[in-house]
Amino acid sequence: MSAATPPTSVSTSPTAGSVWRGGRGVLAIALLVLVTAVVPVLLSSPGTGDRPLDPADSSLQGGKALAQLLRRHGVSVERVESVSAMAASAGPDSQLLIGDTVALSADDARVIAAAGGDRLIAGPQTHLDILAKGVLTGKDVRSRSREPGCALPEATRAGSAFVGGVSFVAPAGAAGCYPAAGRPTLVRHTVDGATVTVIGDSAFMTNMRLAEDGNAALALNLTGAKPRLIWLTAPEKPVTGVTGTGEGKTLGELIPDAVPWAMLQLAVAVAVVAVWRGRRLGPVVAERLPVVVRASETVEGRGRLYRARRARDRAAQALRAAAIDRMAPRLGLPPTAAPEEIVAAATVRTGREAPEVRSALYGPAPADDGALVALAGQLDTLERQVRDS
Amino acid sequence: MALTGRAGLLAALGALVVLVAPAPPVAVLGLALLLAVLVAVDLLLAGGVRGLRLHRDGERLVRLGESVTVGLVVENPGRRRVKGVVRDAWPPSAGAAPCHLKLDVPAGQRRRLVTTLTPTRRGDREAVTVTVRSVGPLGLAARQGSHLVPWSVRVLPPFLSRKHLPGKLARLRELDGRHPALVRGQGTEFDSLREYVVGDDVRSIDWRATARRSDVVVRTWRPERDRRVLIVLDTGRTSAGRVGVAPHPGQPSGWPRLDWSMDAALLLAALAARAGDRVDFLAHDRTVRAWLSGASRSDLLSSLVNAMAPIEAELVEADAPGMVSAVLARAKRRCLVVLLTDLNAAAMEEGLLPVLPRLSSRHTVLVAAVADPRVADMASGRGTAELVYDAAAAERLRGERRWITARLRGQGVEVVDAPPEELAPALADAYLALKAAGRL
Repeated sequence: MSAATPPTSVSTSPTAGSVWRGGRGVLAIALLVLVTAVVPVLLSSPGTGDRPLDPADSSLQGGKALAQLLRRHGVSVERVESVSAMAASAGPDSQLLIGDTVALSADDARVIAAAGGDRLIAGPQTHLDILAKGVLTGKDVRSRSREPGCALPEATRAGSAFVGGVSFVAPAGAAGCYPAAGRPTLVRHTVDGATVTVIGDSAFMTNMRLAEDGNAALALNLTGAKPRLIWLTAPEKPVTGVTGTGEGKTLGELIPDAVPWAMLQLAVAVAVVAVWRGRRLGPVVAERLPVVVRASETVEGRGRLYRARRARDRAAQALRAAAIDRMAPRLGLPPTAAPEEIVAAATVRTGREAPEVRSALYGPAPADDGALVALAGQLDTLERQVRDS
Repeated sequence: MALTGRAGLLAALGALVVLVAPAPPVAVLGLALLLAVLVAVDLLLAGGVRGLRLHRDGERLVRLGESVTVGLVVENPGRRRVKGVVRDAWPPSAGAAPCHLKLDVPAGQRRRLVTTLTPTRRGDREAVTVTVRSVGPLGLAARQGSHLVPWSVRVLPPFLSRKHLPGKLARLRELDGRHPALVRGQGTEFDSLREYVVGDDVRSIDWRATARRSDVVVRTWRPERDRRVLIVLDTGRTSAGRVGVAPHPGQPSGWPRLDWSMDAALLLAALAARAGDRVDFLAHDRTVRAWLSGASRSDLLSSLVNAMAPIEAELVEADAPGMVSAVLARAKRRCLVVLLTDLNAAAMEEGLLPVLPRLSSRHTVLVAAVADPRVADMASGRGTAELVYDAAAAERLRGERRWITARLRGQGVEVVDAPPEELAPALADAYLALKAAGRL
């Protein structure tokens, strides 16, 4: 240990205490952000998620508000998820509500049509010819607040409502309300003894729209017509048919249950490896470096400027001056010699014609780049002749 | 704290366990807990790095282009073995190798690690930090900490031109050897009296001494000694430009003018010291960067390289009046002022030329500049318009240099303008010529 070195080194690593003191503020803020993000999610009702027009869904697209209103008015709401369940519980004292979120096959539609009981079909449906015989789908129209424009008591009592979606062509004897471009968007008629109501858009029944206009009244009037409302909602998993056996399993169902967990374990491994590779052995070393600039850059820049501006006059002048500077001592002349003296001396020395030498050394600026290159060659030749002779 | 690859491997193998485990979620959770416990145990059992005592030994000086070793002694006063890796961090241009060192110090013992430095440029290189990573007995996790262990290595100018020194010294001895009578110029010094031999210049006969003795006696002369040479290095912006080919790898765009000038200055100083002259050194841009005076002849070169080592080119316009004032304040007696700068016409015309008479009236002035070989290459470019335009630009610069050289010579200043590799011998020749002519 030499005298110049300090006896012990100084540790610069933070201690556990200093890490805690430095990081606790950040930790507190991160915790706060996490809590404010998580708490509302936990407090909100465990709804069925993004399932529109579901009597159990409290989101904007759900139908929980309407279901609660109906129950308050003494109507029992039965939520069913399959067509078979719907058909089973259908009866003369019940009304079936089929929203546009349910994709029905032709068989499903026939089962519903055969179940009997009144039907309320909200929103565009594909198998309208089976569900509501005689009603034809017309053009798409914009949903907005519309006037009843008919004698149907449910509609006139409710007044204007947010309807539209699809207009229909009503069969003879049917009641058509809320017309859009001359065609009704709500049609009620009787098929095989059952009252069938078709409405072009189900949005007025959602939690978002229910409080507007006469939407709530219209919805209650339409859905509360019978003591029981059987509400068909989209099932958790798409049902392929009433007799679906599920012979076509998806790829996800074929993978063993342990594989996703093994993937999770691999993700942990990747995180561990990331920490391993990401930890640097000591800080990055910065160094104040000297400037790196070639001294010839100014000359190169001047050359490029000459080239860009096609400055043949200046370029020729520089080349000629350099050639004269080099030749004058060889010709026995001072650097300040007059042009005529230099031309005369060079003519004598090289044996070339005086006009030729004069045009090389003191001629006009070259007309184009080719002439400039030629001039450089002439000057070289002249210089070599002066030097060698 | 740091994890190791073994921890990652363990976590990856855990995926296989999860695949065959009866309850995969429990297995994932259990493996995570197991890994955390093992890492915690390993960290607890690893040797502490905070308590390590480190110090250095080794070299403090190195010539640019050579390698030097610096030792790092790691002493472990703790109760556990410290095993792992050490990074002895140096700035990149110190060229430290290897970058990672293996370390294994049992409790209560010490080990010496060696780092080899091969610097790529001149100046002082300070050690940054020493980081120790101490891996636990399971090899899953490591404790990590840094220590400051100060040490600095001064990288000296390489003095490449010392290969020219023997030749120049031979010329100096030649100058010394032809002392009697033949050279009788102004400024040469009286050495001794000796008997006349045929061929001696009759003008050197000392009649008074001849009268005292019965023999014809001539005075002998020798080259002047104990003259003063003041080397002034311009460290302003023009000295930062890079020219030529750097003698050591790692600097692709050449070597700064400053370094070539230093090389020439070192040869001149070595020569002048052998010739019996006193050499002072001044580095100046806007202020005095270095000043070396009164160094003894034996340790002149080492003092000089030490003074030169930390000097960097500053990106400011050199202050020529300030430089002249600094020289005049320091050089009381007549001396040879060797100014190592660039013959930049614009900078010279506004800076040095107006104040040069103040300097040249009292001192002999020699201006030495590094010419750029790239400009000479460009000036000979022919064939295409691009090359001829470049040649014209190069000729213009050379014309400006010729013009400024003529102006300087007109003021009685010697000028040496040579390509990088030839500057040092050319400057030495100019010095020898001045000495032979007795103009010092």
